[in-house]
Amino acid sequence: MRLFLFLIPISAFGQSTTFEPPRQHDGHPDLNGVWRSGAIVAAFNVEGQKAFYNEPGGPSVIVDPQDGKLPYLPATLQSANDNHVHRERDPTGHCHTHGVPRMLVPPFPIEIVEDSGNVVLLSETEHSVRIILLDGRPHPRNYRAWNGDSRGHWEGDTLVVDVSNFNGRTWLDQAGNLVDENEHVVERFTMTGPDTIVYEARVEDPTVYSRAWTMRFSLLRQPKGTELIEYDCIEGERSEVHYPGAAQKKP
Amino acid sequence: MAAMNADAGLERAHAIVDPPNGTIPYRPEALARRVQNFENRAKADPETKCFQPGVPRAAYLRSPFQIFQNGRAVYMVYQDVHAYRIIYLDGKPHNEGLPFAMGDSRGRWEGQTLVADVTSFSDTTWLDAAGDYHSDRLHVVERYTRTNHDTLMYEATIEDPEVFMRPWKIRIPLRLQKGIQIVEDECEEGENGRRHHVPLFKPAP
Repeated sequence: MRLFLFLIPISAFGQSTTFEPPRQHDGHPDLNGVWRSGAIVAAFNVEGQKAFYNEPGGPSVIVDPQDGKLPYLPATLQSANDNHVHRERDPTGHCHTHGVPRMLVPPFPIEIVEDSGNVVLLSETEHSVRIILLDGRPHPRNYRAWNGDSRGHWEGDTLVVDVSNFNGRTWLDQAGNLVDENEHVVERFTMTGPDTIVYEARVEDPTVYSRAWTMRFSLLRQPKGTELIEYDCIEGERSEVHYPGAAQKKP
Repeated sequence: MAAMNADAGLERAHAIVDPPNGTIPYRPEALARRVQNFENRAKADPETKCFQPGVPRAAYLRSPFQIFQNGRAVYMVYQDVHAYRIIYLDGKPHNEGLPFAMGDSRGRWEGQTLVADVTSFSDTTWLDAAGDYHSDRLHVVERYTRTNHDTLMYEATIEDPEVFMRPWKIRIPLRLQKGIQIVEDECEEGENGRRHHVPLFKPAP
Protein backbone atom coordinates (compact mmCIF):
# COMPACT_ATOMS: atom_id res chain seq x y z
CA MET A 1 0.00 0.00 0.00
CA ARG A 2 2.73 2.43 0.91
CA LEU A 3 4.56 1.64 -2.33
CA PHE A 4 1.39 2.30 -4.34
CA LEU A 5 0.99 5.74 -2.82
CA PHE A 6 4.60 6.45 -3.51
CA LEU A 7 4.10 5.91 -7.20
CA ILE A 8 1.38 8.49 -7.59
CA PRO A 9 2.98 11.63 -9.00
CA ILE A 10 2.29 14.39 -6.54
CA SER A 11 3.02 18.07 -6.81
CA ALA A 12 2.52 20.75 -4.23
CA PHE A 13 -1.07 20.95 -5.43
CA GLY A 14 -1.73 17.26 -5.17
CA GLN A 15 -2.21 17.17 -8.95
CA SER A 16 -0.44 15.31 -11.67
CA THR A 17 2.83 16.89 -12.68
CA THR A 18 3.01 14.97 -15.93
CA PHE A 19 1.13 17.63 -17.88
CA GLU A 20 3.32 19.27 -20.49
CA PRO A 21 1.97 22.79 -21.02
CA PRO A 22 1.91 24.53 -24.38
CA ARG A 23 4.88 26.87 -24.50
CA GLN A 24 5.74 30.29 -25.82
CA HIS A 25 8.77 30.89 -27.97
CA ASP A 26 10.81 31.70 -24.86
CA GLY A 27 10.00 28.27 -23.42
CA HIS A 28 7.67 29.42 -20.64
CA PRO A 29 4.14 28.03 -20.43
CA ASP A 30 1.64 29.72 -22.72
CA LEU A 31 -1.09 31.01 -20.41
CA ASN A 32 -2.69 33.22 -23.07
CA GLY A 33 -6.42 32.89 -23.25
CA VAL A 34 -9.75 33.60 -21.62
CA TRP A 35 -10.25 32.00 -18.22
CA ARG A 36 -12.77 32.04 -15.43
CA SER A 37 -12.79 31.04 -11.81
CA GLY A 38 -13.94 27.49 -11.16
CA ALA A 39 -14.98 28.40 -7.62
CA ILE A 40 -17.64 31.05 -8.05
CA VAL A 41 -18.56 30.82 -4.38
CA ALA A 42 -15.34 32.68 -3.59
CA ALA A 43 -16.75 35.81 -5.20
CA PHE A 44 -19.41 35.75 -2.52
CA ASN A 45 -17.40 34.43 0.40
CA VAL A 46 -13.86 33.09 0.30
CA GLU A 47 -14.67 31.03 3.41
CA GLY A 48 -17.46 29.28 1.50
CA GLN A 49 -21.17 29.45 2.15
CA LYS A 50 -24.45 27.65 1.74
CA ALA A 51 -26.42 28.56 -1.37
CA PHE A 52 -29.15 31.11 -0.74
CA TYR A 53 -31.25 33.36 -2.95
CA ASN A 54 -29.29 33.67 -6.20
CA GLU A 55 -25.90 33.09 -4.59
CA PRO A 56 -24.14 29.77 -5.14
CA GLY A 57 -22.94 27.62 -2.29
CA GLY A 58 -19.66 25.80 -1.98
CA PRO A 59 -16.70 25.06 0.21
CA SER A 60 -14.07 27.52 1.36
CA VAL A 61 -11.26 28.19 -1.11
CA ILE A 62 -8.90 28.67 1.82
CA VAL A 63 -6.62 25.66 2.04
CA ASP A 64 -4.42 26.98 4.83
CA PRO A 65 -5.44 27.14 7.66
CA GLN A 66 -7.04 23.75 7.18
CA ASP A 67 -10.33 24.79 8.76
CA GLY A 68 -10.91 27.09 5.79
CA LYS A 69 -11.36 30.11 8.03
CA LEU A 70 -9.52 33.40 7.75
CA PRO A 71 -7.21 33.79 10.78
CA TYR A 72 -8.44 37.23 11.81
CA LEU A 73 -6.97 39.14 14.67
CA PRO A 74 -9.80 39.75 17.18
CA ALA A 75 -10.06 43.48 16.40
CA THR A 76 -10.29 43.03 12.65
CA LEU A 77 -12.81 40.21 12.93
CA GLN A 78 -15.14 42.91 14.24
CA SER A 79 -14.38 45.04 11.16
CA ALA A 80 -15.20 42.11 8.89
CA ASN A 81 -18.47 41.58 10.74
CA ASP A 82 -19.29 45.27 10.34
CA ASN A 83 -18.56 45.04 6.63
CA HIS A 84 -20.86 42.05 6.41
CA VAL A 85 -23.68 44.07 7.92
CA HIS A 86 -22.88 46.98 5.58
CA ARG A 87 -22.29 45.14 2.35
CA GLU A 88 -23.43 48.22 0.45
CA ARG A 89 -19.94 49.52 1.21
CA ASP A 90 -18.38 46.85 -1.02
CA PRO A 91 -15.97 48.86 -3.20
CA THR A 92 -16.84 46.86 -6.32
CA GLY A 93 -20.46 47.84 -5.77
CA HIS A 94 -19.20 51.38 -6.33
CA CYS A 95 -17.43 50.36 -9.54
CA HIS A 96 -14.00 50.18 -7.96
CA THR A 97 -11.35 47.78 -9.10
CA HIS A 98 -11.04 44.54 -7.15
CA GLY A 99 -7.62 44.32 -5.65
CA VAL A 100 -5.80 41.02 -5.29
CA PRO A 101 -6.65 38.15 -5.10
CA ARG A 102 -10.24 39.27 -5.62
CA MET A 103 -9.58 40.12 -9.27
CA LEU A 104 -9.42 36.40 -10.01
CA VAL A 105 -12.63 35.32 -8.27
CA PRO A 106 -15.58 37.00 -10.03
CA PRO A 107 -17.97 34.93 -12.14
CA PHE A 108 -16.82 36.90 -15.19
CA PRO A 109 -14.01 36.02 -17.57
CA ILE A 110 -10.46 37.28 -17.34
CA GLU A 111 -7.95 37.29 -20.16
CA ILE A 112 -4.28 36.54 -19.71
CA VAL A 113 -2.01 38.24 -22.24
CA GLU A 114 1.67 37.40 -22.42
CA ASP A 115 3.88 39.73 -24.42
CA SER A 116 7.67 39.88 -24.16
CA GLY A 117 8.39 40.32 -20.50
CA ASN A 118 4.91 41.32 -19.44
CA VAL A 119 1.90 39.35 -18.33
CA VAL A 120 -1.31 41.35 -18.41
CA LEU A 121 -4.48 40.34 -16.61
CA LEU A 122 -7.62 41.90 -18.02
CA SER A 123 -10.81 41.45 -16.05
CA GLU A 124 -14.14 41.93 -17.72
CA THR A 125 -15.78 43.17 -14.55
CA GLU A 126 -14.84 46.75 -13.59
CA HIS A 127 -12.44 46.62 -16.58
CA SER A 128 -9.71 45.94 -14.05
CA VAL A 129 -6.18 45.68 -15.38
CA ARG A 130 -2.99 44.35 -13.87
CA ILE A 131 0.28 44.67 -15.74
CA ILE A 132 2.70 42.16 -14.21
CA LEU A 133 6.28 43.13 -14.95
CA LEU A 134 8.77 40.29 -15.27
CA ASP A 135 11.90 42.42 -15.62
CA GLY A 136 13.25 41.69 -12.16
CA ARG A 137 12.92 45.21 -10.85
CA PRO A 138 11.59 45.66 -7.31
CA HIS A 139 8.30 47.23 -6.28
CA PRO A 140 8.45 51.00 -6.69
CA ARG A 141 8.68 53.22 -3.66
CA ASN A 142 5.90 55.70 -2.87
CA TYR A 143 3.24 53.97 -4.92
CA ARG A 144 -0.05 52.69 -3.59
CA ALA A 145 -2.88 51.30 -5.66
CA TRP A 146 -6.13 49.37 -5.38
CA ASN A 147 -4.52 46.50 -7.27
CA GLY A 148 -1.11 47.04 -5.70
CA ASP A 149 2.04 46.57 -7.73
CA SER A 150 2.72 43.19 -9.36
CA ARG A 151 6.17 41.78 -10.09
CA GLY A 152 6.45 38.31 -11.56
CA HIS A 153 8.98 35.63 -12.28
CA TRP A 154 8.93 32.03 -13.40
CA GLU A 155 9.74 29.20 -11.03
CA GLY A 156 9.92 26.27 -13.41
CA ASP A 157 6.55 26.24 -15.14
CA THR A 158 4.82 28.30 -12.45
CA LEU A 159 4.30 32.04 -12.83
CA VAL A 160 4.94 33.54 -9.40
CA VAL A 161 3.71 37.08 -8.80
CA ASP A 162 4.63 39.18 -5.80
CA VAL A 163 1.99 41.82 -5.13
CA SER A 164 2.51 44.67 -2.70
CA ASN A 165 1.88 48.44 -2.40
CA PHE A 166 -1.86 48.14 -1.80
CA ASN A 167 -3.98 51.08 -0.73
CA GLY A 168 -5.90 48.89 1.69
CA ARG A 169 -9.35 49.85 0.46
CA THR A 170 -10.34 46.61 -1.24
CA TRP A 171 -12.32 43.67 0.06
CA LEU A 172 -11.71 39.99 -0.56
CA ASP A 173 -15.30 39.12 -1.43
CA GLN A 174 -18.88 40.29 -1.21
CA ALA A 175 -19.15 39.04 2.36
CA GLY A 176 -16.93 41.86 3.61
CA ASN A 177 -13.74 39.93 4.31
CA LEU A 178 -10.96 42.45 4.32
CA VAL A 179 -7.34 43.36 3.96
CA ASP A 180 -5.54 46.62 4.62
CA GLU A 181 -2.56 48.49 3.20
CA ASN A 182 -0.11 46.01 4.73
CA GLU A 183 -1.39 43.21 2.53
CA HIS A 184 1.25 41.23 0.68
CA VAL A 185 0.28 38.50 -1.76
CA VAL A 186 2.31 35.83 -3.50
CA GLU A 187 0.34 34.33 -6.37
CA ARG A 188 1.20 31.14 -8.21
CA PHE A 189 -0.28 30.31 -11.63
CA THR A 190 0.38 26.70 -12.68
CA MET A 191 -1.13 25.08 -15.74
CA THR A 192 -2.16 21.55 -14.78
CA GLY A 193 -4.05 20.64 -17.93
CA PRO A 194 -4.79 22.17 -21.33
CA ASP A 195 -7.78 24.03 -19.94
CA THR A 196 -6.86 24.44 -16.27
CA ILE A 197 -4.64 26.79 -14.31
CA VAL A 198 -4.34 26.16 -10.60
CA TYR A 199 -4.31 29.57 -8.95
CA GLU A 200 -2.90 29.96 -5.50
CA ALA A 201 -2.59 33.12 -3.43
CA ARG A 202 -0.73 33.30 -0.15
CA VAL A 203 -1.87 36.39 1.68
CA GLU A 204 -0.15 37.95 4.64
CA ASP A 205 -1.31 41.08 6.38
CA PRO A 206 0.02 41.30 9.92
CA THR A 207 -2.35 44.08 10.97
CA VAL A 208 -5.40 42.05 9.94
CA TYR A 209 -4.45 38.38 10.30
CA SER A 210 -2.63 36.43 12.97
CA ARG A 211 -0.81 34.40 10.31
CA ALA A 212 -0.44 34.08 6.55
CA TRP A 213 -3.18 32.13 4.79
CA THR A 214 -3.55 30.55 1.36
CA MET A 215 -6.43 30.26 -1.06
CA ARG A 216 -6.44 27.95 -4.04
CA PHE A 217 -8.86 27.27 -6.85
CA SER A 218 -8.83 26.50 -10.54
CA LEU A 219 -9.12 28.89 -13.44
CA LEU A 220 -10.95 27.18 -16.27
CA ARG A 221 -10.34 28.01 -19.92
CA GLN A 222 -13.50 29.38 -21.51
CA PRO A 223 -14.84 27.96 -24.77
CA LYS A 224 -12.91 28.91 -27.89
CA GLY A 225 -14.10 32.24 -29.23
CA THR A 226 -15.12 33.65 -25.85
CA GLU A 227 -14.50 37.39 -25.87
CA LEU A 228 -14.42 39.81 -22.98
CA ILE A 229 -17.02 42.49 -23.51
CA GLU A 230 -17.04 45.97 -22.12
CA TYR A 231 -18.36 46.06 -18.60
CA ASP A 232 -20.08 49.33 -17.98
CA CYS A 233 -20.47 50.03 -14.29
CA ILE A 234 -22.51 53.20 -14.93
CA GLU A 235 -18.93 54.44 -15.01
CA GLY A 236 -17.82 55.89 -11.79
CA GLU A 237 -18.64 55.34 -8.20
CA ARG A 238 -21.14 58.17 -7.96
CA SER A 239 -22.36 58.72 -11.48
CA GLU A 240 -25.56 56.86 -10.84
CA VAL A 241 -26.36 59.33 -8.10
CA HIS A 242 -25.16 62.43 -9.89
CA TYR A 243 -26.31 61.68 -13.38
CA PRO A 244 -29.57 59.75 -13.19
CA GLY A 245 -30.32 60.55 -16.80
CA ALA A 246 -27.28 58.65 -17.90
CA ALA A 247 -28.11 55.76 -15.62
CA GLN A 248 -31.65 55.44 -16.90
CA LYS A 249 -30.44 55.27 -20.44
CA LYS A 250 -28.66 51.99 -19.76
CA PRO A 251 -30.48 48.95 -21.10
CA MET B 1 5.42 47.71 -27.40
CA ALA B 2 6.12 50.24 -24.71
CA ALA B 3 3.86 53.01 -23.59
CA MET B 4 2.93 55.70 -26.07
CA ASN B 5 1.20 59.00 -25.77
CA ALA B 6 0.30 61.86 -27.99
CA ASP B 7 2.07 65.18 -28.17
CA ALA B 8 -1.10 67.00 -27.33
CA GLY B 9 -4.84 66.77 -27.39
CA LEU B 10 -6.92 67.17 -30.49
CA GLU B 11 -5.64 70.50 -31.76
CA ARG B 12 -7.79 70.88 -34.74
CA ALA B 13 -5.58 72.90 -37.01
CA HIS B 14 -2.86 70.28 -36.67
CA ALA B 15 -4.77 67.06 -36.09
CA ILE B 16 -7.49 67.27 -38.74
CA VAL B 17 -6.00 66.48 -42.12
CA ASP B 18 -9.27 66.04 -43.96
CA PRO B 19 -11.13 68.26 -44.73
CA PRO B 20 -8.11 70.39 -45.62
CA ASN B 21 -9.46 73.42 -43.77
CA GLY B 22 -9.04 71.51 -40.50
CA THR B 23 -12.65 71.95 -39.42
CA ILE B 24 -14.99 69.18 -38.32
CA PRO B 25 -17.80 69.00 -40.91
CA TYR B 26 -20.76 69.21 -38.53
CA ARG B 27 -24.24 68.95 -39.87
CA PRO B 28 -25.81 72.38 -39.33
CA GLU B 29 -28.39 71.00 -36.93
CA ALA B 30 -25.70 69.22 -34.91
CA LEU B 31 -23.56 72.28 -34.32
CA ALA B 32 -25.75 73.78 -31.60
CA ARG B 33 -25.02 70.91 -29.26
CA ARG B 34 -21.32 71.27 -29.83
CA VAL B 35 -21.54 74.93 -28.86
CA GLN B 36 -23.54 74.01 -25.79
CA ASN B 37 -21.05 71.27 -24.87
CA PHE B 38 -18.24 73.78 -25.11
CA GLU B 39 -19.97 76.20 -22.81
CA ASN B 40 -20.67 73.48 -20.28
CA ARG B 41 -17.44 71.57 -20.76
CA ALA B 42 -16.20 71.99 -17.19
CA LYS B 43 -19.06 69.84 -15.94
CA ALA B 44 -20.38 68.09 -19.04
CA ASP B 45 -17.21 66.51 -20.38
CA PRO B 46 -17.54 62.76 -19.65
CA GLU B 47 -13.84 62.82 -18.85
CA THR B 48 -14.60 64.95 -15.80
CA LYS B 49 -16.63 62.05 -14.44
CA CYS B 50 -15.37 58.50 -14.42
CA PHE B 51 -16.42 57.46 -17.90
CA GLN B 52 -14.07 55.61 -20.18
CA PRO B 53 -12.54 57.99 -22.72
CA GLY B 54 -13.97 56.50 -25.91
CA VAL B 55 -12.43 56.19 -29.35
CA PRO B 56 -10.53 57.92 -30.90
CA ARG B 57 -10.05 60.20 -27.86
CA ALA B 58 -8.24 57.51 -25.88
CA ALA B 59 -5.34 57.70 -28.33
CA TYR B 60 -4.57 61.36 -27.76
CA LEU B 61 -5.09 61.87 -24.06
CA ARG B 62 -2.25 63.30 -22.02
CA SER B 63 -1.92 60.02 -20.16
CA PRO B 64 -0.08 57.16 -21.84
CA PHE B 65 -1.28 53.83 -23.08
CA GLN B 66 0.55 50.59 -23.71
CA ILE B 67 0.15 48.12 -26.53
CA PHE B 68 0.41 44.39 -25.97
CA GLN B 69 0.25 41.74 -28.65
CA ASN B 70 -0.13 37.99 -28.65
CA GLY B 71 -1.29 35.54 -31.27
CA ARG B 72 -4.91 36.39 -30.67
CA ALA B 73 -5.27 40.15 -30.69
CA VAL B 74 -3.74 43.56 -30.10
CA TYR B 75 -4.52 44.97 -26.66
CA MET B 76 -4.59 48.69 -25.98
CA VAL B 77 -4.31 49.35 -22.25
CA TYR B 78 -4.93 52.99 -21.40
CA GLN B 79 -3.80 54.49 -18.15
CA ASP B 80 -6.89 56.69 -18.12
CA VAL B 81 -9.46 55.01 -15.82
CA HIS B 82 -7.78 51.68 -16.68
CA ALA B 83 -9.79 51.45 -19.87
CA TYR B 84 -8.68 48.80 -22.33
CA ARG B 85 -9.60 47.63 -25.81
CA ILE B 86 -9.08 44.29 -27.47
CA ILE B 87 -8.58 44.55 -31.24
CA TYR B 88 -9.31 41.07 -32.53
CA LEU B 89 -7.45 39.88 -35.59
CA ASP B 90 -9.35 36.65 -36.25
CA GLY B 91 -11.68 38.07 -38.89
CA LYS B 92 -14.83 37.61 -36.84
CA PRO B 93 -17.58 40.19 -37.35
CA HIS B 94 -18.39 43.01 -34.97
CA ASN B 95 -20.33 42.45 -31.80
CA GLU B 96 -23.12 44.68 -33.05
CA GLY B 97 -25.80 46.66 -31.36
CA LEU B 98 -24.40 47.13 -27.87
CA PRO B 99 -23.53 50.61 -26.61
CA PHE B 100 -19.85 50.35 -25.73
CA ALA B 101 -17.96 53.46 -24.60
CA MET B 102 -14.82 52.04 -26.23
CA GLY B 103 -16.65 50.46 -29.16
CA ASP B 104 -16.09 47.01 -30.64
CA SER B 105 -12.75 46.74 -32.47
CA ARG B 106 -11.88 44.35 -35.29
CA GLY B 107 -8.43 44.63 -36.80
CA ARG B 108 -6.31 43.50 -39.68
CA TRP B 109 -2.83 44.17 -40.98
CA GLU B 110 -2.36 46.10 -44.20
CA GLY B 111 1.35 45.74 -44.75
CA GLN B 112 3.00 47.40 -41.76
CA THR B 113 -0.18 49.16 -40.69
CA LEU B 114 -2.63 47.90 -38.10
CA VAL B 115 -6.11 48.86 -39.25
CA ALA B 116 -8.89 48.75 -36.67
CA ASP B 117 -12.54 49.07 -37.56
CA VAL B 118 -14.51 50.26 -34.54
CA THR B 119 -18.31 50.29 -34.19
CA SER B 120 -21.03 49.64 -31.58
CA PHE B 121 -20.50 52.86 -29.69
CA SER B 122 -22.52 54.46 -26.98
CA ASP B 123 -23.20 58.17 -27.37
CA THR B 124 -21.71 58.87 -23.95
CA THR B 125 -18.17 59.92 -24.90
CA TRP B 126 -16.73 63.04 -26.48
CA LEU B 127 -13.97 63.46 -29.03
CA ASP B 128 -12.05 66.06 -27.05
CA ALA B 129 -12.31 68.45 -24.11
CA ALA B 130 -13.84 71.16 -26.31
CA GLY B 131 -17.18 69.40 -26.60
CA ASP B 132 -16.82 67.77 -30.00
CA TYR B 133 -19.15 64.81 -29.83
CA HIS B 134 -20.73 61.94 -31.71
CA SER B 135 -23.84 59.80 -31.68
CA ASP B 136 -24.17 56.04 -31.27
CA ARG B 137 -23.83 55.78 -35.05
CA LEU B 138 -20.13 56.63 -34.79
CA HIS B 139 -17.84 54.49 -36.93
CA VAL B 140 -14.08 54.88 -36.64
CA VAL B 141 -11.37 53.35 -38.79
CA GLU B 142 -7.98 53.66 -37.11
CA ARG B 143 -4.60 53.16 -38.70
CA TYR B 144 -1.49 52.61 -36.58
CA THR B 145 1.81 52.81 -38.46
CA ARG B 146 5.22 52.79 -36.82
CA THR B 147 7.07 55.29 -38.95
CA ASN B 148 10.29 55.10 -36.93
CA HIS B 149 11.43 53.56 -33.67
CA ASP B 150 9.94 56.25 -31.50
CA THR B 151 6.89 57.23 -33.53
CA LEU B 152 3.57 55.53 -34.05
CA MET B 153 1.52 57.49 -36.56
CA TYR B 154 -2.13 57.42 -35.58
CA GLU B 155 -4.84 58.11 -38.11
CA ALA B 156 -8.56 57.89 -37.52
CA THR B 157 -11.34 58.33 -40.04
CA ILE B 158 -14.45 59.42 -38.19
CA GLU B 159 -17.88 58.86 -39.63
CA ASP B 160 -21.25 59.59 -38.04
CA PRO B 161 -24.10 60.45 -40.39
CA GLU B 162 -26.17 61.82 -37.55
CA VAL B 163 -23.59 64.45 -36.56
CA PHE B 164 -21.24 64.98 -39.51
CA MET B 165 -21.84 65.84 -43.16
CA ARG B 166 -19.05 63.59 -44.32
CA PRO B 167 -16.25 61.42 -42.89
CA TRP B 168 -13.25 63.32 -41.63
CA LYS B 169 -9.79 62.34 -40.65
CA ILE B 170 -7.25 63.10 -37.93
CA ARG B 171 -3.56 62.28 -37.92
CA ILE B 172 -1.53 62.49 -34.72
CA PRO B 173 1.98 61.19 -34.08
CA LEU B 174 2.28 59.16 -30.87
CA ARG B 175 5.68 59.21 -29.20
CA LEU B 176 7.34 56.28 -27.49
CA GLN B 177 7.60 57.03 -23.78
CA LYS B 178 10.82 55.86 -22.19
CA GLY B 179 11.36 54.94 -18.58
CA ILE B 180 7.76 55.10 -17.52
CA GLN B 181 5.22 52.46 -16.73
CA ILE B 182 1.47 52.53 -16.79
CA VAL B 183 0.19 53.02 -13.25
CA GLU B 184 -3.28 52.58 -11.85
CA ASP B 185 -5.61 55.50 -12.48
CA GLU B 186 -8.62 54.58 -10.41
CA CYS B 187 -11.17 57.30 -10.87
CA GLU B 188 -13.08 58.63 -7.92
CA GLU B 189 -15.72 61.28 -7.94
CA GLY B 190 -15.67 63.96 -5.31
CA GLU B 191 -18.52 65.69 -3.53
CA ASN B 192 -19.16 68.00 -6.46
CA GLY B 193 -19.44 65.13 -8.90
CA ARG B 194 -16.16 65.91 -10.58
CA ARG B 195 -13.60 63.23 -10.62
CA HIS B 196 -10.21 63.29 -9.09
CA HIS B 197 -7.62 60.87 -10.28
CA VAL B 198 -5.16 59.03 -8.19
CA PRO B 199 -2.12 61.24 -8.72
CA LEU B 200 0.09 60.09 -11.54
CA PHE B 201 3.35 58.62 -10.42
CA LYS B 202 6.60 57.90 -12.11
CA PRO B 203 7.74 54.78 -10.30
CA ALA B 204 11.19 55.06 -8.80
CA PRO B 205 13.70 52.96 -10.76
